[in-house]
Amino acid sequence: MASQAASSFNGNVKKALAGLRRINLEGLRWRVFDAKGQVLGRLASQISTVIQGKDKPTYTPNRDDGDMCVVINAKDICVTGRKLTDKVYTGHLKERTLKDQMAKDPTEVIRKAVLRMLPRNKLRAERDRKLRIFAGGEHPFGDRPVEPYEMPPRQVREMRPRARRALIRAQKKAEQQQQGGNDAKKGKKREQTAEVAA
Amino acid sequence: MKKKKVFNLAKGFRGRAKNCIRIARERVEKAQQYSYRDRRNKKRDMQSLWIQRINAGTRFHSVNYGNFMHGLMKENIQLNWKVLSELSMHEPLSFKALVDISRNAFLGNKNVVHPPRKVSIPVSV
Repeated sequence: MASQAASSFNGNVKKALAGLRRINLEGLRWRVFDAKGQVLGRLASQISTVIQGKDKPTYTPNRDDGDMCVVINAKDICVTGRKLTDKVYTGHLKERTLKDQMAKDPTEVIRKAVLRMLPRNKLRAERDRKLRIFAGGEHPFGDRPVEPYEMPPRQVREMRPRARRALIRAQKKAEQQQQGGNDAKKGKKREQTAEVAA
Repeated sequence: MKKKKVFNLAKGFRGRAKNCIRIARERVEKAQQYSYRDRRNKKRDMQSLWIQRINAGTRFHSVNYGNFMHGLMKENIQLNWKVLSELSMHEPLSFKALVDISRNAFLGNKNVVHPPRKVSIPVSV
């Protein structure tokens, strides 16, 4: 596979191409998911549907017929609520919050989410091999016919009253700070940094 | 000879269950119980599989399964699930015609599912 020619992709090309020979690639499409600004779970749900092949009318449960899924911009995935600090990934007596995990390896977040949404059967490992996730915006599969996946429009629910009041308070505070602290505060800060530098 | 019958039915079993009569008899009995149960389960499983296939086929045309069937029932089209799933697999154009009929019959159908992505129709095996 001469995808090294199309590599404006600085990353592990070997890892990205790993295990491709094991998959029977005839007739499978390559779908690209852009994770920028998408909510984690909702994106993972769509990916898992595509990976299982459930959007094809030729779906057969004992045979893995899902499309290859490429996910880009994995580091720009969003979560709602306090999950950035409160969602915890547990290992054996070890825990890691979402924030730390994103700092360490953002692709693992999406991979775990999708993997845990797939049915736990013998096809799960094969389906894992079909999923390729990249933290940045480039992928080395540019020479193949890739098709972008359009996410369904999202219905965002109205903010809860308490959250809305908090938001309004935060906005007002920001406005006040901008108006009030324009001259005095910034002047002081500049003096301090000048002293430190000199 | 009952033993002979049992060993005939125990072909392909694992380990001693195909060779030793005491074990084979138990396993064959169990196999026959499963077979009885699964003759009834098979009908359910096949129906479920047809529904999944029809769902996939209709979602490609931005209609979901429930609304599609509602539209067909309204138009009194009495095609059964097996035939519908076969159509969705092997006759994409006829299936599209059916989806259009259903969409016109039941007006809740416009843009139920998000509009289809601009991809080719999946290759049917």
